[in-house]
Amino acid sequence: SNNKMAAHSGRLLSFWRAAYGSRNLWKLNAADKTSSQLLWRYLSTDVTTAKNNELTAQLLQYGRYIHDILPKYVQQTQLTHNNELEVLIHPDGIIPVLTFLRDHQNSEFRQLQDVTIVDIPKNVCRFELVYNLLSITYNSRIRVKTYTDELTPVDSATSVFNSANWAEREAWDMFGVVFSNHPDLRRILTDYGFEGHPFRKDFPLSGYVEVRYDDEVKRVVCEPLELTQEFRQFDLSSPWEQFPAHRKPAISSTSEQDNTKKE
Amino acid sequence: MASGAVKKTTNIVGYTVLPNAREILCGLYSKTLTALQRLPKEAAYRRHTEQIIEQRLQIVQAETSIPTIEEQIGCGQVEELVDHAERELKLVGKMEEWQPWEPLVSDPPPGQWEWP
Repeated sequence: SNNKMAAHSGRLLSFWRAAYGSRNLWKLNAADKTSSQLLWRYLSTDVTTAKNNELTAQLLQYGRYIHDILPKYVQQTQLTHNNELEVLIHPDGIIPVLTFLRDHQNSEFRQLQDVTIVDIPKNVCRFELVYNLLSITYNSRIRVKTYTDELTPVDSATSVFNSANWAEREAWDMFGVVFSNHPDLRRILTDYGFEGHPFRKDFPLSGYVEVRYDDEVKRVVCEPLELTQEFRQFDLSSPWEQFPAHRKPAISSTSEQDNTKKE
Repeated sequence: MASGAVKKTTNIVGYTVLPNAREILCGLYSKTLTALQRLPKEAAYRRHTEQIIEQRLQIVQAETSIPTIEEQIGCGQVEELVDHAERELKLVGKMEEWQPWEPLVSDPPPGQWEWP
């Protein structure tokens, strides 16, 4: 079935290649790390990818290596289509995994480039924390991802990397994610009395307040928003499929019933 | 040892030249190997790290000239190697405390890592 999927996707890919480019997405499920079962596998049919495939194979092997060493925290490792390795971990493992990646001789990711958050409102744990690391010794990058919801605090990475100080302040200011054991968690980008966390998906583009200079009181005042034109909400969904490479396998209700009957 | 063998500078800020880098490296690697003995044998971290360190220790003990050591290990200058070895030694202690070879703490909430 894996072969069939690969062949089918190969034909699909050659059709969509012009519009979407080559895609290499390999996922390793935590439950099957010993046999490294591939959940989906789309092989690029481009001519220039012989070297790319070697790099992909190396990165996959490295992802397995990390997974082998830290099975307590690593839930999944995956490789994006641009050969970027991502390690998805449980939030308890932020400090262990980051310390390991910084200090181990085979990883040496000594620079934390950024701590960012992706807000996905439909998830229970809506905030996906992303740590981008760079290794100067080995000239490579890795991404560590965790999750949290609006109320659960997360360990601060400042004990591991000094650059996490301001990066986490920004994450707190823009999203409202609390970092415990942070030396100085306060706002960094928003105005002093600003209420709200602007980068959340439910925060409107125009905000809730506007500022203007008031001549009577001779200073800048902060007032509720007054738009001259009503904010136009565009429906950006299209009738065509957006992500053909990420189609979920169709589960028909009849086959499920058959299976349960057989059991 | 030839008179011009000791290098004048590492050309990296924060790393001063260590003329006795070989001895320091030997000592650090052996210390790390003994520290690793405290971890359980089947832990992947212990296996892989022992492999790396034994390989490097072999090279350091076999070669006497520092440029050859740097070339054979291939991970930068000996001063950087000393720094890496010190960090690895500290990491072993921390790994003993965290024990990351245990099975997964808990699965992610369903659909957490699905995209889009």
